[in-house]
Amino acid sequence: MPETAAETLPIEESPVPSPSAESPEGYQVRLEIFEGPLDLLLFLIRKKKIDIHDIPIAAITRDYLDYLDRKTEINLDREAEFLFIAALLIYIKSQMLLPRETDLAEHEDPRQGLVNRLLEYEKVKAACSLLREREDGQIVQWKRDFIPPLHGENELEPVELSLFDLAESFFLMMKRRSADDTRTIRGRDVSIEVKMKELVGLLQERHMIDFLEYFEAHASLEEALVSFFCILELVKSRVAVAVQDELFQTIRVWLRKDARRTGAHE
Amino acid sequence: MNSPLKNLIESLIFVSQEPLTAERLRAVLEGVPAADIQAAADELIADYATDGRGIHIVRVGGGWLFSTKPAHDREVRRLLQIERKNRLSSAGLETLAAIAYRQPVTQSEVSAIRGVDSTGALKTLLEKKLIKIVGRKKAPGSPLVYRTSDAFLLYLGLNSLDELPSEEEIAKILEEEKAVDA
Repeated sequence: MPETAAETLPIEESPVPSPSAESPEGYQVRLEIFEGPLDLLLFLIRKKKIDIHDIPIAAITRDYLDYLDRKTEINLDREAEFLFIAALLIYIKSQMLLPRETDLAEHEDPRQGLVNRLLEYEKVKAACSLLREREDGQIVQWKRDFIPPLHGENELEPVELSLFDLAESFFLMMKRRSADDTRTIRGRDVSIEVKMKELVGLLQERHMIDFLEYFEAHASLEEALVSFFCILELVKSRVAVAVQDELFQTIRVWLRKDARRTGAHE
Repeated sequence: MNSPLKNLIESLIFVSQEPLTAERLRAVLEGVPAADIQAAADELIADYATDGRGIHIVRVGGGWLFSTKPAHDREVRRLLQIERKNRLSSAGLETLAAIAYRQPVTQSEVSAIRGVDSTGALKTLLEKKLIKIVGRKKAPGSPLVYRTSDAFLLYLGLNSLDELPSEEEIAKILEEEKAVDA
């Protein structure tokens, strides 16, 4: 999240790079951190006890740029936002220096836009501190809308290791595939005759076989192919019949009645 | 002290995972006079407040909910195996405050208030369901318009947006801060 970048911008070298930065106390150390350029401007204005409605633009710009110079960590996203306000400050100063033809009273103070933004931001910041108090009061009161985690710590681990699981599954799969390959090279002979007898026997025994189930049970592609030829042959020679109830559904194969009576295909 | 209606309401609040509103209660308890329901509910809440129990009934999000007492937080978290208090980040809270006070708002309006791009913070708040998208603004690019959600009220223990800290309270905070600086 880009916002976290702003949190790491120290105004000065941070006091101690605290290892306890994650503990609630750790956040105290990082108080001199700005949410953004407006936050920084407000800080400078307060530090110098400046009236927000009458900001000495030149002085505040100098302080502001000093801060940007001192900043050690560079984050381009945030940098742009901080620089944008720097540019705005310089622009305002230039507007104030320009001689005007009209009377000042008629003309709006060039600082007004920025002042309005600062005042609004100041309110949001103050509201934040009130909302934080409410939050702190609420998060210690547990309600039933909170659904507790169903898994214990041990069960959560696989989720964290999912990348390794994935890799492991992949290598297992590769291994199995290469094993398949070797078997194919060895070339286990499956003759049509043998397979045909086996198939007819099966059909006589069960009357019906499920096409998909039957092929899933085959170990190698070669064997599956031979079986497939056998079924085609049986259907062609009208010994068996293949039926599909609906498109994309499984195909069921069974022996024709007359074939069943006469026993095996010759 | 004990009434069947009060016990019934106790059960209904107990099973509710979201605030049980008076309207909902009236709808469930068909035929029971609204005044009786209110009286029984008030009595029940008072019972819990005075009986020295571990839980109490809080009025939040416009309804009633059972809630544990703050003093038990540490042990509850240990039971639920939640190590740390999960507060919003300061960027998240600032974004949420800007939306709460200026809603309905667009991303660019929030970013302008904060002076910082708020896309990421908005995304996080959406994921936490503390804010919701309510439509698009009729403006160039028709940007999405955000509002705070019911979960937001619940999260901060508010019954409605009217209970957000008022302008006066905010002004008071600002005065105090200035006094400290001076």
